[in-house]
Amino acid sequence: MSARSLHQLLRDKRVLVLCGAGGVGKTTTAAALGVAAARAGRRVLVLTIDPARRLAEAMGLPESGPEPTTVPPERLFADGPRGTGRLDVWMLDPRLVFDRMIHRLAPSPEAARAIVEHRVYRFLSDLVAGVQEYAATEALDGFLADERYELIVLDTPPSRHALDFLDAPGRLSRFLDERVVSLFGPESSSRGGRLWQGAQALVGRVLDGVFGAGHAREMRTFVGAFSGLFGGIRLHTERLRARLASPDAAFLLVTSPESAALREAAFFRDTLVERGLPFAGYVLNRSWAREDALAHPEALLEHVSDDPHAEHGVAALSRLAATERARAESHRTLLVRLAEQLPTGAVAVAAPDAGAELEEFGGLVRLGDALAPG
Amino acid sequence: MLEALWDRRALLVSGKGGVGKTTLSAALAVAAARSGRSVLLVEMAPDEGGPSALGALVGARDVGPKVTRVRPGLSFVRLAASEGHRRFLQDTLPLRWLAEAALRSRALRRFLEAGPALREMGLLYQMLALLRRTRPDGRFEYPLSIIDLPATGHALAIAALPRTVLALMPGGPIGRSVQEGLDFLQDPARSAVLLTSLPEPLPVSEALALASELERLELPLTAAVLNRMPEDPFTPESHAAVQRLLATHGPHQGARALARLERARAARARLAAGLQVPLLTLPELPVTGPELVERLAEVFTPRELAEPTREAAP
Repeated sequence: MSARSLHQLLRDKRVLVLCGAGGVGKTTTAAALGVAAARAGRRVLVLTIDPARRLAEAMGLPESGPEPTTVPPERLFADGPRGTGRLDVWMLDPRLVFDRMIHRLAPSPEAARAIVEHRVYRFLSDLVAGVQEYAATEALDGFLADERYELIVLDTPPSRHALDFLDAPGRLSRFLDERVVSLFGPESSSRGGRLWQGAQALVGRVLDGVFGAGHAREMRTFVGAFSGLFGGIRLHTERLRARLASPDAAFLLVTSPESAALREAAFFRDTLVERGLPFAGYVLNRSWAREDALAHPEALLEHVSDDPHAEHGVAALSRLAATERARAESHRTLLVRLAEQLPTGAVAVAAPDAGAELEEFGGLVRLGDALAPG
Repeated sequence: MLEALWDRRALLVSGKGGVGKTTLSAALAVAAARSGRSVLLVEMAPDEGGPSALGALVGARDVGPKVTRVRPGLSFVRLAASEGHRRFLQDTLPLRWLAEAALRSRALRRFLEAGPALREMGLLYQMLALLRRTRPDGRFEYPLSIIDLPATGHALAIAALPRTVLALMPGGPIGRSVQEGLDFLQDPARSAVLLTSLPEPLPVSEALALASELERLELPLTAAVLNRMPEDPFTPESHAAVQRLLATHGPHQGARALARLERARAARARLAAGLQVPLLTLPELPVTGPELVERLAEVFTPRELAEPTREAAP
């Protein structure tokens, strides 16, 4: 499989979801792919969470803001004629996404305020597993309905397992499940028979015992305030799931040669396939697999005469060259083995190790070109 | 340099994802076990499914919330929120039948799985229970625990949790046990936090940010480990000579490795300057997986303890 296919993905898809463990360079890859797609003429949004500050600077992105920021065309097309593509970038603020969702779904502004101003809510993003992930899916759902964008590149929150992103919203929506909530909700609830009331009484005793009566009460008013919003939340989750399962979407795993890449890659592929989600392939990041036809350091010796330091230096560089070859070789092997486990139509692409140069926009352009040559 | 660490009850290995934190945790545990200590290696992943990278590194066949022995002196456990919840309910609720009924309730289980802070709380509680466990002779069952902290974007989410929970629910049984956990984690006589990083610009920036976050949380940062430092075959003079040659005659093979080495040196200098604690640099080794764990464990093994153990072996 060639990098040509990644170019096709950027041209044809509506959503590209980048998954991967923390520290593999997922955000950088998402940014570079977004740049490549926009330069190829599409209207692109890169949705990212917690990018490294310097990357944000390179993209011309404020640390966070209420709306996506457009990368100035003179930067996007700095090296040639201005194309028709456009690149917007948004660093997701989970709190903001959540507030908006609640305001939209709540039956009245007062109901929304009752949630947003609740003491427990203010701790929510610190405390509830999956808030970041949920906010990402919620934002994605909103932007998919937005005509402004033809392609959305989603940089998922870092997690140990690449697919945590998919499970976290489910966990959150299970927590916000109506049946669970009505158990915890204000006790006045008249629904259900004696069995239900029995369950509610039991939960009440457990909560009082576990949290202390004061906090249990607080928790109940909070959870109670959420009732009524669930229909909307579930609808979103299901709609998004359907969209992500459609051929319009593609999931890519970003991995690094250092991490337990092969094992993780196989797990990722199997889990996606199991869930009927479109697996598009792997990006092996920071790879030295690329061949560059350079001369061996010993060629430098013809420029050296009677300089022990230079001779020592050339010998040392030769050692580094040997290390470099071994590293390149192992990265190539890894890439071949990744390619072996690919289903038809999926890609395995190596992204060159760009070193420190990604601190400027030109570095993202070069990385994007290397990943998806047009 | 790491001698001071072995007397603690808990070593928390922190760092952003991708820096080799899991491998280092495994290597520390293997080193401790080799030196004759009884050590518990703990995986504190926020999720419970999927393969266990840490378990695989030490050859743990059974990855679950039960402690399994993987070799003499070394046990492994992957903490599970549900296990912590079970213990917590049993320890807290006044009536045994109430705890059992609570555990049978599907709605309550779901709530505990996703409710504010309850997952992390479950992990913390199971950890505390393991730390407290004693043998019949009164000594601790696991005198030394090495904990691989989660590799999420906020590597300190679990370490920061006690404070958040306390702000939210200062009283009640949860508040009390979380306070106990916080006291343990903040006590430099019992806990030590180890910060791990890589010799690259971004990881070093992240490590420095993490160090100030640890300080803010009043957690005892005790040492830092710089992982995968590339080999440096140069003298200062020969390095300068090569730079001159390359500047004149263009790039040759090895240029990528040289650029990487130069970045690594600068990154290490910046990390050392920015930290108040000892910095241990580990070489980059051409092996991976369990083999890498064994090699790094050699670097960590406390010599003065290793000797008598070896003599005592049959």
